Amino acid sequence: MYDDFANPWNIRLKWVYLLGVVFALLMPVFYTIYISFNQHGFGARIYEFTFDWYRVVLGDTLLVVSLKWTLYLALAAIVATIPMALLSAKFYKRTRRKVAFVALMLSPLFVPADIMGSSLLVFFKNLANGFVWLDEVLGVYWFDGWFDLGFLTALIGQVIYVHPYAFIVILITMSRYRVQQTEAARACGATAWQAFWQVEFPQIRVGVFSSCAFVTILSFNEAVRTALLKGGFDTFSNMLVAQMLNIGMSGESYAMAGIMSIVSMLVIGSVIVFTLLRAERLERRARAMAQPLMAS
Amino acid sequence: MFYVPVVFFVLFFAAPMALTVVWSVFERTQFWMEPGFTLFAYDNFFTSARAENYLFSMVHGAAAVAISFAIGFPIAVFIRRRVTRVAQHRVILLFILPFMISELVRVFAMRPVLGRHGIINSLLIDLGIISEPITAILFSPLGVIIGDVMSFLPFMIFAGFLALEAVQNYIFEVCDDLGTGRVRLFTHIILPLAAPGIFAGAVFIFVNSLGVALVPTLLGGPGAVNAGLIANQAIVALDFPLAMAISTIMVVTLVALLYIGHRLFDLTRILEPIS
Repeated sequence: MYDDFANPWNIRLKWVYLLGVVFALLMPVFYTIYISFNQHGFGARIYEFTFDWYRVVLGDTLLVVSLKWTLYLALAAIVATIPMALLSAKFYKRTRRKVAFVALMLSPLFVPADIMGSSLLVFFKNLANGFVWLDEVLGVYWFDGWFDLGFLTALIGQVIYVHPYAFIVILITMSRYRVQQTEAARACGATAWQAFWQVEFPQIRVGVFSSCAFVTILSFNEAVRTALLKGGFDTFSNMLVAQMLNIGMSGESYAMAGIMSIVSMLVIGSVIVFTLLRAERLERRARAMAQPLMAS
Repeated sequence: MFYVPVVFFVLFFAAPMALTVVWSVFERTQFWMEPGFTLFAYDNFFTSARAENYLFSMVHGAAAVAISFAIGFPIAVFIRRRVTRVAQHRVILLFILPFMISELVRVFAMRPVLGRHGIINSLLIDLGIISEPITAILFSPLGVIIGDVMSFLPFMIFAGFLALEAVQNYIFEVCDDLGTGRVRLFTHIILPLAAPGIFAGAVFIFVNSLGVALVPTLLGGPGAVNAGLIANQAIVALDFPLAMAISTIMVVTLVALLYIGHRLFDLTRILEPIS
C-alpha cells in the first residue's frame, strides 16, 4: 500500500508537473506576444519595447475590415448557436435515443476542419447549382444566389463547429437542475415558457453565458472552414494565414497573433475568474446556511 | 421545436458527410464534376505517393496519441484522485485557457520556439548542453508530432478526467484499504474504468493529426503532408472528386474507430456525470 500524503514531496512534485505542462502549453503563445512588442522583431539581439506593430495592424484598413467581419460572424454564431445548444440539451434530457442524438451532436468535434470544410464547400456548391436549375425549370429568379458561398455558408460552417462545445457546457450546467422544479412550476399554473424563463434559466444562466464566451472565442479563432466557405470576404485569422504563407513571419504577423491571443485570454480568463468567484460565493453561502444547523 | 438542432445537423453535417461518398465517384470535369460512376479518384489516391503520405500521417498521428496519453493521462488521474472534489473543476479550467487560444496561433507560436534561433536552441546553447542548434525539431516529422501534441494534448486530459469523474470514490478507497499496488491499481482499475475517455481522447487526437492541414503546413517543412492537406491541395487543383475521396477515407476511418470504440468501451459512459 502507498500513501501520497505520507511524503508531501510526492504531491508537490505532481503539482509541479501539472503546472509545468500548463506552462509548456502557454509558453509559446506568451513568447509570441513578447516578440510582438519588440521593435526589431524575432531573432534580434536587442529588445526595444514598442506598440508600433500593433499600430501597423490597426492602421491597415484591410485588417480592420477583416476584424469587423470576424466580429459580425462571431455575433451571428452566438445568435444562431446558443438557442440551438439550449434546445439540444433539453432534447437530450427527454429523448430515449440518447446515443444516436449525442453521436450526431458531438461528431463534428471529431471531423478535422479541412475535411469538414471541403465537404461543406462541395455541398453548398451543389446546393447553389440545384437552386439555379430549379429557377430554370420554373422560369423564375426566386432562388437566385441561394447558398452561394458567402456570409451564410461561413456561418453554417461556424455553427456546426462551435455547437458541440456550447452543447456540452450547457448540458453540464443543466445536469445540476432538477426537472421536478419545472413540473412544480407547471403544476402551479406557469406556462412552459414561464417555467423555463423564470425557474430553469436563472439556474443555467452561467452555462449559457460561458457558452456565449466560448462561441465568441472559437468563432474568432476559426480559420480553415471559414477560408473554404466565406466567398468574398476575409476574417482576421484568414488574413493571418495569408500573411504567414505569402509574406512570412513579419512583426505584423506576430502582432496579429498577439491580438488573437490577448482577446482569447481576456475573454476566457474573465469566464474562469467569474466562475471561480461564483463558486466561492456559493460555497460561503452554503457554509453560512449549514452553520445554524450544525450549532443546533 | 426541439427537433430544430437535429434537422440542422442532419441537413448541414450528416448529409454532406454522407454525400462525400457519392461525389467521390463522380467524373471530374475541367472546373467541377458531373454525375457518373468512376473509381478514378480512389485509384489516383491509392496508386500515388498520396497513399504513402496518408500512412505516414497515420504513424505521426499514432505517435501524437501515445505521447499525449503519456503526458496527459497522469494529470487527469492526479486531478481526479488527489485534488479535492471542489477544486477539481478549477484545476481543469487551467487547461481550458491554452485549448481556447486559436490553434492557428498555437501552431504558429511553435516556430519561434523550435526554430534554429528559437527559445529552446538558444537556451540549450547558453547552458552549454549543445554547440549547434538542433534542426530536427522544426520543419521535420518530429516538428509535426510536437505540433500535434501541443495542439491536442488538453483534450486527452479533459476526456480522461470526464471518464474518471464517473468512477465512485469508494472504488479507490477499497483499493487503498486492500493495499493494491500502483501498477495493479493503474492497469486493473483506472485504465479499464477510464477506457471510454482515453479512447475518445485518442480518436480526437488521431483524427485531427490526420486531418488538420495547419500543422504540417507550418511546422512540417517541404514535403510534409497529411490527409487534410492532400484534400486542400486537391480543392486548389479543382480536383473535387479526389478531395471527396480523401474525405470519404477520413470519414470511414473515423466512423470505424468510433464504432469499434463504442462496441468495446461504451463511449456514452463518458457523459454519465452530466446526464
